[in-house]
Amino acid sequence: MALDKGDKNKSNIYVPELAVINKIQRISPTEKIFNIAFDNKEKQDNFYFNPGQFIELTVFGLGEAPFSITSSPDNRDFFQLCIRDVGNVSGALHRMKEGSKVGIRGPFGNGHFPYDKIRGHNVLLIAGGLGIAPLMSLIKYIINHREDYKKMMIIYGAVNPESVLFKSDIQYFDDRSDVSTCVTVDNPDDKWTGEIGVCTKLIPRVDFPVEDTYVVVCGPPVMYKYVIMELEEKKYPPDKIFLSLERRMECGVGKCNHCRIGDKLVCVDGPVFSLWEIKNLKEAV
Amino acid sequence: MLYKIMSINAYKDFVKSLIYNYEFIGPKKKDNAIHDFVQIKDISELDTNYTRTTIPPAKKILFPPSEELVTYDVGKTIKVKPVIKSGKKVLFGINAWDINGMNFLDKFFTTDFVDENYMAKRKNLIVIGMDTEPTETNFSPSMGSDYATEGFDLYLTELEDSYFIRVATAEGNKILNKYSEVSNASAVDFSDYKRYMDEYRKKFKLDVNIKDFYNNFELIYNDDEFWKRIAKDCYSCGSCNLVCPTCFCFNVKDDIKLNLKSGSKSREWDSCMIPGYGVVAGGHNFRPDKENRLKQRYRCKLKTFFDKFGRYACVGCGRCIEACLAKINIAEDINSINKEVSI
Repeated sequence: MALDKGDKNKSNIYVPELAVINKIQRISPTEKIFNIAFDNKEKQDNFYFNPGQFIELTVFGLGEAPFSITSSPDNRDFFQLCIRDVGNVSGALHRMKEGSKVGIRGPFGNGHFPYDKIRGHNVLLIAGGLGIAPLMSLIKYIINHREDYKKMMIIYGAVNPESVLFKSDIQYFDDRSDVSTCVTVDNPDDKWTGEIGVCTKLIPRVDFPVEDTYVVVCGPPVMYKYVIMELEEKKYPPDKIFLSLERRMECGVGKCNHCRIGDKLVCVDGPVFSLWEIKNLKEAV
Repeated sequence: MLYKIMSINAYKDFVKSLIYNYEFIGPKKKDNAIHDFVQIKDISELDTNYTRTTIPPAKKILFPPSEELVTYDVGKTIKVKPVIKSGKKVLFGINAWDINGMNFLDKFFTTDFVDENYMAKRKNLIVIGMDTEPTETNFSPSMGSDYATEGFDLYLTELEDSYFIRVATAEGNKILNKYSEVSNASAVDFSDYKRYMDEYRKKFKLDVNIKDFYNNFELIYNDDEFWKRIAKDCYSCGSCNLVCPTCFCFNVKDDIKLNLKSGSKSREWDSCMIPGYGVVAGGHNFRPDKENRLKQRYRCKLKTFFDKFGRYACVGCGRCIEACLAKINIAEDINSINKEVSI
């Protein structure tokens, strides 16, 4: 009972930090981008994350869900989440207005996109659907520090033209001479002038040398299998291929066990893994 | 460790004092077959002579089925407050394998970071162990958990006309001296104790070969047909998780009160065997097949934490074997995996 006083001052890791949604932009029929900043300025100033890390966002009274951060770590005043209206929490977020409060825990995940390892090498970025959202954090970081990297190519596949996300960003990348961008859609409309079909079919065209290239992939589970087949066909080594895995996560800190694959936990060992790490892990991809 | 002797009469007074002075949790007969650990108000309710409990006693107290973690007021301003409950309790009559199950949870909830909700309760829990009769599904000797060497404050072993007490902590020693009269164990007491333990160990009938399993499990891990066969009767009900002293999976959920002015975040037990365990928003299920769920459970119990902590996340209590409606038997499966691969 001598302990009680100490315990009263204790907190736990489930307490979210208050934050405000400063800006909401709709970028497709199902996706919106939320700019979020912590109420506590000191907390915001000390909020550092790596591309590929995620946060747990609480809609008070409703629930909590994990979301990858989509903005660049260089962006210090706020961070961005690109969220699809698909579940309980994301649905509630889509109904929220600018100025609404949410709770944030994180950033979580020790495995992030290897922006540090890639320095001085070529980088091939492959995104499928909403997979562009986590990857965008890395892409923007690389663009900001473009001189640190060699050749850069983005392959992005979406279902149809209206579900292509980050259109203006992609237009900007496309306009740059030091980035090659390939966007492909499964179901084009009359105005579509880009590629047609799944993103895997663009991989054979990549001519980056195998020994000097990192590949970073983010997309839905079904995409990974085929992308990996294509990359292996081109002999890209598995320790230079990185994938971000999605799983159910309740705690974010390796305790609730929902994201366990074999002996690994996606929330603490990932969410980004090298293909080498997960190659023999059943269920991973 | 100190070794003390308490007379049978002193024992009764000791228990009465603890019941009077503490929130005292002990085994109480529920029906003919089952005991339940509940708060005991009078010594007549206490029945330490039990064989079966459904919900593991330590887990029930330290990691309850549902537990509030955070409360908040919603409205114009949102105020968030952590909830950490503690309070001194005595857990009396817990047996060796359940203490070892608790030791696993202790390790789990203090590794990587300290889980304050668990620790606040754990620090305030006085654990007094006692031997109980094993069920026929108990294979704790194979798992090295039929004997507890840590995790308790006092461990009482009933000899013919006295109790042999192992005193593991200063707090245990303090309450022993405060509420009872004990003497140091003599050489005769030690040999009585040894004789008792030799007899006690003979009561465990079920044996599994867990050492060979370590490598054999990897060899059979990708044999889908084998896992389908093992899991074919599984109802995916999660009973095995509910009764397990080491299962720790949980959900974190938010609730709002009917007045819409305050809400809370709490965690509640989840089960890795139920079909929705791996479902994410949008409906994709990352582990839809029951054989993969069972395989993952076995991996978690018998491999993952052996690699991480050097101890199994299974103490061999046999509860899951008794609870399983489909008669899936982890002990049998360990042995049949060994047989299957080592042809």
